[in-house]
Amino acid sequence: MEFVLQMQNITKKFGTLVALDNVNLSVQKGETVAIIGPSGSGKSTLLRCVNHLERITSGRIVIVGQELANTNEYGYVFYPKEAEIRRLCSNTGMVFQHFNLFPHMNCLQNICYAPIKVKGENPIDANKRGLALLELVGLTSKAEAYPAQLSGGQKQRIAIARGLAMDPKIMLFDEPTSALDPEITGEVLTVIRQLAQQKTTMLIVTHEMGFAREVADRVIFMDNGAIIEEGTPAEIFNTPKSERLQSFLRAML
Amino acid sequence: MDSITHLLGYVMLILPSLLKGALVTLEVFALTIIFALPLGLPFGLGSNSRFFFFKWPSKAYIWLFRGTPLILQLFFFYYFFFPAIGLPLDSITIAIITFVLNYAAYFAEIYRAGIESIDKGQYEAAKSLGLSRSQTMFGIIIPQTVKRVLPPISNEVITLVKDTALVSVIGVAELLKNARSAVNRDVNTVAAYAVAAAIYLLFTFLLTLLSRYLEKRFSRHEAKEV
Repeated sequence: MEFVLQMQNITKKFGTLVALDNVNLSVQKGETVAIIGPSGSGKSTLLRCVNHLERITSGRIVIVGQELANTNEYGYVFYPKEAEIRRLCSNTGMVFQHFNLFPHMNCLQNICYAPIKVKGENPIDANKRGLALLELVGLTSKAEAYPAQLSGGQKQRIAIARGLAMDPKIMLFDEPTSALDPEITGEVLTVIRQLAQQKTTMLIVTHEMGFAREVADRVIFMDNGAIIEEGTPAEIFNTPKSERLQSFLRAML
Repeated sequence: MDSITHLLGYVMLILPSLLKGALVTLEVFALTIIFALPLGLPFGLGSNSRFFFFKWPSKAYIWLFRGTPLILQLFFFYYFFFPAIGLPLDSITIAIITFVLNYAAYFAEIYRAGIESIDKGQYEAAKSLGLSRSQTMFGIIIPQTVKRVLPPISNEVITLVKDTALVSVIGVAELLKNARSAVNRDVNTVAAYAVAAAIYLLFTFLLTLLSRYLEKRFSRHEAKEV
């Protein structure tokens, strides 16, 4: 078993609010893991701790075998230096709820900027790869378009291509369809489904129960900053054990 | 008919002196812009900085130069500061230095506000892609700030055109000072003021056109359709 991500005993506090309470989560290579749960349950916070958008209060994070964060015996959390954090986190790619595309760059530039600047890729190669990624998300014709000229679904597909351009070992999706109109979530889900078939390692926070059930190898249910239940989609959706998951699913369906 | 020819003749008479003044005005204006626009950036970034030793000097600088009258700053540098350090600069140089320091403070505030107006999602996206702080600042944040700061910058630039009239208080012979000399000398006519006003208006009109062009140019990527 090869772990791409290991999170051990993760606690995250915002002041006195406990957002994550001793959470353990590992993701294997090629696995698609979906995290579901009510709003405010800590799903997004957990995801944001993976790539250092949030710093944990205690626990240990290991990305592709290298330690991003650890806690010593006195409860003091330490992270490596900033450049090292950047290097470790570049193993992750992230797709945000609100896309966060760079509005002053066209789609191809959005995709190629980081590979050229961070990895020092030759711009010609980067562009070639950028075009291949545009093809993957079905937006070859939009290479020269600016984000303001795209629909929400198209923006999110470009954001996925941008995340993939850095060749991450794991893709993090933070509610990728929550800001979209229901009729266009499909085009984004199709792209993610395609990635799952290609065995891209993914950690997906989502409210799309049907999608989680169909695409995930494993589903995690969180509530109040803790993992309440986890298992295969069949176990989670067909035979939920905990009372909280049962009532959550009842409310969602 | 006679009075119109007379007036035209008078305007032609004073025009060389007014144009000479206008050139001085232009010089103060242009040099202030050239130096103050870039000088504002480190102070704007500084006042956004997390580091105490960047943040507080920048804040203090902005507070000092925005918080006191420009005319007082001119007096300070001309009558006190440069004489006190024994640096014999001519009055136009002192005027330009004062203007640069003053306007840099205003530009710094505009830059700071522009940078703060960028959504934090942009920083997060940049970070998630592994961009360093300086790559994020210069590649992602500042290019987006340009479009947003253009309108307030244009505003300041137009104000600067008119503020240049203040340098006459330390004896620089710019447009308004030369106009006033003409009026004082040739009693009973305000023609010199009218010509000076026309020159100022022409100047600000051209700047308005320029700023409109730049605003259009920098928002082209926001066009809805190609």
